[in-house]
Amino acid sequence: MSEVVIKVEDLRKSFGDHEVLKKIEFEISKGEVVCIIGSSGSGKSTLLRCINHLENPTEGIVLFHDEEVKNTQRSLANYRSRVGMVFQSFNLFNNMTVLENCMFGTRKILKLNKEECKKRAIKYLRKVGMVAYINARPAQLSGGQKQRVAIARALCMTPEVLLFDEPTSALDPEMVGEVLKVMKDLAAEGMTMIIVTHEMEFAKNVSTRTIFMDNGYIVEDESPDILFTNPKNMRTREFLKRYMER
Amino acid sequence: MGILQLIETPTKESGLLEWILFLATKYSSTFLKATWVTLYIAVIGTILGFLLGFLIGVINTTKISPEDGPVKKCLFRFAKAIAMIYMEVFRDTPMIVQGMVIYYGLRQGDVLITSAIAGILVTLLNTGAYMGETVRGGINSVDPGQKEGALAMGMSHTGAMFYVVIPQALKNIFPEMGNTFLNNLKMTSVLNVIGVSELFLAAKTAGGSYYKYFEAYLVIAVIYFVLCFVFNRIFLAAEKKLEGRSDYEIATEYLEEN
Repeated sequence: MSEVVIKVEDLRKSFGDHEVLKKIEFEISKGEVVCIIGSSGSGKSTLLRCINHLENPTEGIVLFHDEEVKNTQRSLANYRSRVGMVFQSFNLFNNMTVLENCMFGTRKILKLNKEECKKRAIKYLRKVGMVAYINARPAQLSGGQKQRVAIARALCMTPEVLLFDEPTSALDPEMVGEVLKVMKDLAAEGMTMIIVTHEMEFAKNVSTRTIFMDNGYIVEDESPDILFTNPKNMRTREFLKRYMER
Repeated sequence: MGILQLIETPTKESGLLEWILFLATKYSSTFLKATWVTLYIAVIGTILGFLLGFLIGVINTTKISPEDGPVKKCLFRFAKAIAMIYMEVFRDTPMIVQGMVIYYGLRQGDVLITSAIAGILVTLLNTGAYMGETVRGGINSVDPGQKEGALAMGMSHTGAMFYVVIPQALKNIFPEMGNTFLNNLKMTSVLNVIGVSELFLAAKTAGGSYYKYFEAYLVIAVIYFVLCFVFNRIFLAAEKKLEGRSDYEIATEYLEEN
């Protein structure tokens, strides 16, 4: 059993009276690729946002290498710089070029020297096939291109874990493939990833573990072979059945 | 002084143009000085006002979260209250009255303030009150995802605002900032009531000596127009520059070395 990187203990999140996450227990070890599936509103994205504290959990704690992530500026900054996040709506900085986007974190947060920042940016932009576009601004790119840049930007920080919040949901079908391919390559290289997704084929083929969430609970947490072929829970079966019928 | 001697004092029969030329040349140094005063009060007042406006806009868009410490909470509540009162007062009273109250108020309180400094103070406070709201709107117009993108990398709130949100907000409100400056440039004319020797007062003086008000005010109307026209072009050029290029170059140099 390899080392646990992130552990979530008794996590609850409420927005007003509405409890979105109910008693979540979850952990991910080095090298695992965990896909979280479930219908909209089941709490998948909220869980991911709680994991990197973009939403503060109402109760419960997140542990990073067995240490509690505290809600202080320093603790959060250190943790977040080691756990990358890729968003559904890309969130590339619109006031910067592709290269500046990729150098921002290493330069301003890790405070590396300029040459090293640029070297890293070029390296990861090449990896996602976007190196030719370093002078472009986000507004000049297609959705798939933006998302690949966003992945490169996250990789520049050399994170230990990458969180993906529905990375292909805002893309048209033709562009989904190029982003999924980059993610597949990362998985093959042993990157630890938590991916909230609606891409069932991807979850089935790439993840080492798949989690099905419903109504704020983790209903099932299984290897994809079992979850997709022989789910134990009624809700999981219903969800997958409806999904396959489409 | 050469041109001065060429133009004789017009008589009763002289036309409008002659009077305008006469006043403009006779009082050329007064008008020039007044133009300079108008300019520096407007420029300094506006720049300081912008800074104040940004400060207020940032304070007003900062959300107090329940997790914040009691000191931070109190501090922010206090700052927000102060900002609210200030904006309310300065947006709900006319600038000309603010000028009188500030200048004579300070004088009565034995603060020796020159009318020019008082003029700058009035302009900056007025600008700050309006800019606070403009900046708030500008910051709110930036997609919250932009800030989240920076936070998720480990940036602090302040850093995310400074590097990501404010530059984008600035671009969005730039036309409004141009408006504010032009408005200030013209509104300095009300400062004649506290004795600032700006353009309006210069025209009043020049016109008063010959009972030729229409002609004197036409002179400064032209000066105001030229100033505003020039600054408008500068703002338009700056805005275009801020927008950046619409195309980009493919970086072929990195493509080759695979």
